Amino acid sequence: MNARRKIRKNARSALWSVLCFCLAVPVVFPVLYAFLGSFRTAGEFSRLPPALFPDSFLNFDSYVQVFTRVPMARYFLNSLGTTALVCAVKLCLSILAAYAFAFYDFRLKNLLFVLILGTMMLPADTLIITNYRTVSRLGLTNTWLGVAVVSFAGASQMFMLRQAFTQAPRALRDAAFLDGCGDMRFLWRILVPVCRPVVITLLMQVFVAQWNAYLWPLMVTDSDAMRTVQVGITMLTGAEDTNYQVVLAGACAAMVPPVVLFITVRNRLTASMTRGAVSD
Amino acid sequence: MRTVTLGADRGISARARAGRRMKPYLFILPILLFAVGFVYYPFFRTFLYSFSAVNVMGEITSFAGFDNYRYLFSRREFCAAISNTLRLTAMNVPLTMLITLLLGRLLKEKRFLCGLFETMIAATMAVSMGSAALTFRVMLNPTVGWINSVLGIGVRWYEDRNTALYGILLLTVWMGIGFNFLLFLAAFRNVDRDVTDQARLDGAGTARVFFSVELPLVSPTLLYALCTNTILALMTSGPVMILTKGGPSRSTTTLIYLMYTTGYGSGNYAMAACVAAVTFLLTLAFTLAGLWADGKRGDAK
Repeated sequence: MNARRKIRKNARSALWSVLCFCLAVPVVFPVLYAFLGSFRTAGEFSRLPPALFPDSFLNFDSYVQVFTRVPMARYFLNSLGTTALVCAVKLCLSILAAYAFAFYDFRLKNLLFVLILGTMMLPADTLIITNYRTVSRLGLTNTWLGVAVVSFAGASQMFMLRQAFTQAPRALRDAAFLDGCGDMRFLWRILVPVCRPVVITLLMQVFVAQWNAYLWPLMVTDSDAMRTVQVGITMLTGAEDTNYQVVLAGACAAMVPPVVLFITVRNRLTASMTRGAVSD
Repeated sequence: MRTVTLGADRGISARARAGRRMKPYLFILPILLFAVGFVYYPFFRTFLYSFSAVNVMGEITSFAGFDNYRYLFSRREFCAAISNTLRLTAMNVPLTMLITLLLGRLLKEKRFLCGLFETMIAATMAVSMGSAALTFRVMLNPTVGWINSVLGIGVRWYEDRNTALYGILLLTVWMGIGFNFLLFLAAFRNVDRDVTDQARLDGAGTARVFFSVELPLVSPTLLYALCTNTILALMTSGPVMILTKGGPSRSTTTLIYLMYTTGYGSGNYAMAACVAAVTFLLTLAFTLAGLWADGKRGDAK
């Protein structure tokens, strides 16, 4: 009786695994397709019926093409530069503001808090036309700063950090201040390290979002040297050009940094979402 | 402990005390500067533009009342954009949520290989729109693409005005899966085990437990996801820009894409501002509901 129940339980478990596998594979299929396709040749693509697997996994020709056809290394540098700029400035600004909201009482506190959170109600995509005018009048088109500047105000990051700061033990600050620690020293040397999990999670979210940004970088850059990876990969082929394997290699190359980062800190991210993160 | 600092205050000059009072404002000033300069200012300027006559330099020449809006609503491409955007949203949101609810519920129990499946599905949310769009372009290509040949269909996806919007839909649904899946997975895992076990003891089957116990318990997350997905779907523009350029024959023109082409492409700031204003009004209700739902979701913890 017991043995039979055990078999049934195992069978059910196996069935569940098979079912999950059947559902997970279609979801990741496009990524697999891009990866497999990037190793195929133009000749393989013209063969019918279309196959899935490449003849050889050692054919890196498409990747070479991605980096030689367009200045892809330069695009990567631009993406890294703008993303690093956004991560650094956005996080610093939200940490400063979150600190004031968590530890100080002042007259306009509620008003300012609502004012900053209110930016979440205005979708960034609807603002790009007027932002473009501002940025071009400031002479920032075709610069890293121009790509980054519109993302500096991070309301949801500020909100998450304020939550984390208010949960940090109060005695920490009092003790630090008694020891002659100033605001800045306490904030950067003690509070931020204490709240490191939240900071890292937010850093990762900002990184992925900025690395993957398309519409705004496309708009503020028109010189070839200033394009980001996301914009660059769409320019790998013209309308008449049919080098599918190069397009797929470009798509793969562009997804490497965020996906790798995502997988390495996934557990932390899942945990923070469980707690009810506001996403933007 | 506070009294210690207050006591210390008494000894210092009025100037230092004023400086201390200014401190929190100084901390907030930088973020506020960018919030005003790149969110509030463009927002108000957009509304101002939408009621004005604007030259190609972006300077306001005169007040125009509702003329811009009247003109806009009489344009064929605007009507097409509104209809396409709403149709896309109406199909995208339920589809995405149905798929991810199912996935989230299935992977709720932590079993063998569960972590692997979880990572596989969730990692798709780190894939950029650009990469995804290019992959779909090749995958759904009528001659060299794998999908058509495997399914044995002859759909011309992005090249046919009757199917292009569905092609965009496929892509946008896929892009939403990772994020929504993680949301629902977390929500289902937060449901108290005792509650579901009790329901099962009372004789309820899996389906009954799902519909009568679990689903109501995750409803704040459901509402939150509904609002976020709706806003995201109303903002669809990138896939259109990369895959179809609004065509064939306007069948995939969306609101933000139209805004981009009229404002940036043709320098018609007033029209672009009108489109932006209409899009914003469409999202407003969902934004408010979403913020409210998120508050409730937080309270439920």
